[in-house]
Amino acid sequence: MQQRVPAPATGSSELPPESGASEEGESERVSKRGLPDLIEAQILFTWLPLVLATALWLYALPHIDYRHMGDWGLLDQLPAAFFLSLVVLTAGFVVSLRRAGTAPWWPGLYSVALLFALKAPTAILYDSVRYPWASKHDAVVTHLLVNQELRPGTPLSGNMAAYDQWPGFFTLNSALVRAFGVQTTQSYLNWAALFYGVILIPVLVLVYRTFAEDWRLVWTGVWIFEVANWVGQDYFSPQGLALILHLSVLAVVLRHFVRPGSAGDLRSRAHLDPAAASVPPPTTARQRAVCVVILAPLIAAINFTHQLTPVMLCVSLFALNLTRRYRNPGLLVVTGLIMLVWDLTMGRPLFVETLDSLKESAGNLLNNSRAGYAGELTGPGPVLQGRADIVMVLAVAALAAFAVLTRRKLLKSALPLLLVSIAPVPMFAINDYGGEMLFRVYLFGLPGAAFFAAAALVPAPGGAREPGYFGVAPVVRRRISAVALPAVLLALVAGFLPAYYGKERMYYTPPAETALVTKVIDAAPRDSLILAATGSFPMALHRYDQLEHWFFVEQALPDNIRMLKDPAGFLEPGLPKDGRPAFVLLTHTQDVYTAGEGLLPAGGFAELTSKLSASPRFRVIDRNEYGTVLRYQPPTTPLR
Amino acid sequence: MPLTRNRIRIAMALSGWVALGATQLPAATPARWIPVLLFVCFGPGFALLYPQPDMLRPGARLEALALAAPLSLSLGALVSTSLFLVKGFSSTAFLVSLAAFATAASAFPGLPLPAATRGAVERPRRR
Repeated sequence: MQQRVPAPATGSSELPPESGASEEGESERVSKRGLPDLIEAQILFTWLPLVLATALWLYALPHIDYRHMGDWGLLDQLPAAFFLSLVVLTAGFVVSLRRAGTAPWWPGLYSVALLFALKAPTAILYDSVRYPWASKHDAVVTHLLVNQELRPGTPLSGNMAAYDQWPGFFTLNSALVRAFGVQTTQSYLNWAALFYGVILIPVLVLVYRTFAEDWRLVWTGVWIFEVANWVGQDYFSPQGLALILHLSVLAVVLRHFVRPGSAGDLRSRAHLDPAAASVPPPTTARQRAVCVVILAPLIAAINFTHQLTPVMLCVSLFALNLTRRYRNPGLLVVTGLIMLVWDLTMGRPLFVETLDSLKESAGNLLNNSRAGYAGELTGPGPVLQGRADIVMVLAVAALAAFAVLTRRKLLKSALPLLLVSIAPVPMFAINDYGGEMLFRVYLFGLPGAAFFAAAALVPAPGGAREPGYFGVAPVVRRRISAVALPAVLLALVAGFLPAYYGKERMYYTPPAETALVTKVIDAAPRDSLILAATGSFPMALHRYDQLEHWFFVEQALPDNIRMLKDPAGFLEPGLPKDGRPAFVLLTHTQDVYTAGEGLLPAGGFAELTSKLSASPRFRVIDRNEYGTVLRYQPPTTPLR
Repeated sequence: MPLTRNRIRIAMALSGWVALGATQLPAATPARWIPVLLFVCFGPGFALLYPQPDMLRPGARLEALALAAPLSLSLGALVSTSLFLVKGFSSTAFLVSLAAFATAASAFPGLPLPAATRGAVERPRRR
């Protein structure tokens, strides 16, 4: 669908006009608007797509057959009406951009609708926890509620003590569980992506408005952020909350920490891109000091909540200190000190361990940038998701790079945003963060990347004399943009689906499997050893502070092929000899995960299950169509 | 305007206590979890940011809207973690702490973020 994208009526107001003479006039017009106005073409095509997309989406929702996902994850279970609703939504968004200057709430509404359209289906439909590792975070909350205290110094299997060392997110949810009167966070945790998304949008708008006066650019940036946020870090997790707090701190810094006299010629509109906002007014040293005090609780909460985000925040603030505009070493020192105090007190055990491991990981770029474990994605859905991830990263990076090259004036005024986005990239040189550094660096870089990617698509209003567009005339530029904007936005929405839902079969945890695992773990005596192929299954870490764990397939494929020759022989040396029971849980979600991530060869999981079931050292104690539970029979125990 | 501001202040001051009262309702009902969620996510942040001596500039309104939830959630995380550290955790202690904080904060002018207090951009400061 081609839409002409004319220059917006940009104003100097920061919000959708709600006050002021002209704005009152607008609201009066809105209130007096009758049916004939609503069917006037431009207004009709602003609200009608939203209604139509909502109707299509609601129709599609009950037809999403998530219980019978196959190799393509959720992709082939989504009905045509679902895809159509996204097309209509994107078209409506592009049309609403035409009035973004005077009615910015319309693209805002479309952005919120997109968030719901993309991420609400699983929250509404699923009858169990989405993402097996979300149930790990649920287990941490339960652990805190049972113990009623933090035990940062108590070592726990699988480095789980880290959650007592950075407990902010979990203590907050402990309070919510009790205040809501629910049993566990499982009652609400599938809604996390939507909750985080709704909270994040205004923060993102605040950051973007600091650098752009053009609402079209702001909302297109938000739209691109949403569709490029396929990385799945916005589930029920500390990092999801910490990212919002991180961006909030940066928003305050970018708006209130401009040093006097540092903006130079950017104070003149003649030196600004037509879409750019004026550099925020400078603040006095006293005002900035007050702002540091205001920010301290936010910075402290980030440190209470997550290990990596404070490091990212320090790195981002350091990058800002490289500019004249935001040279505020005091804030950097305070942020660093808060981090250091937490790391050396509550977080000391893991901090010291990480420092030790840095000797090995530092400089190992190839290993630190790997995604997940050592396996290769296998199966149509996971392979497509892997490729879509790469294409999405490259597409957003290419668009952002294009804007950086062609909109020099915008780059100059929004350079701080670019700096804070690329600042986390060197983290690759330091640590692999359990195979997740790639995703985390991408996520922290995404706000700036989405902004510049939007700048590549939304032409500068009235930018006739703007140089640097490779000599392309403004009229031609606008025509190209009229095609490119809807086409690219639609392509990115299309790319989001495989990037987010291609592996969905790994993420949906059938209730019968959850019940089987819960039953075994509830009955396991204290200090039992729980074995499983991988930790990626529901309730894997239920009662984790009373049990030990060994996820024995989480290693390279060649090691697993050797293990498959004699699984019982591979496991036996590591099993307890002191009479503690050991249980092996082999479930459907593990099967899907180990196959999709390429940890086991085709049929490997079934082979593992049958060989262990046939071994005299293991006895099947429970079984249903979603899993098998075995108990280890030590050599001293007479075989039954 | 002062009347409207005072109404907002009173609403902010009472919001936490209303949430606390809602916890007496049957477990997991919307009438219970919705006020609690709204207060924990927005109450303390709005109480800190909103009551400003003058009308908020449009930029400051967006700022208050965007930062209310992050500030509230930060304070919630700090309070709940502190309660765990002193082994005094309970949902009542958590909500009472935040409600008292919101009540106290709503009695004072909002945080002096420059955007909220400066007035129009580049306007000379009042002496």
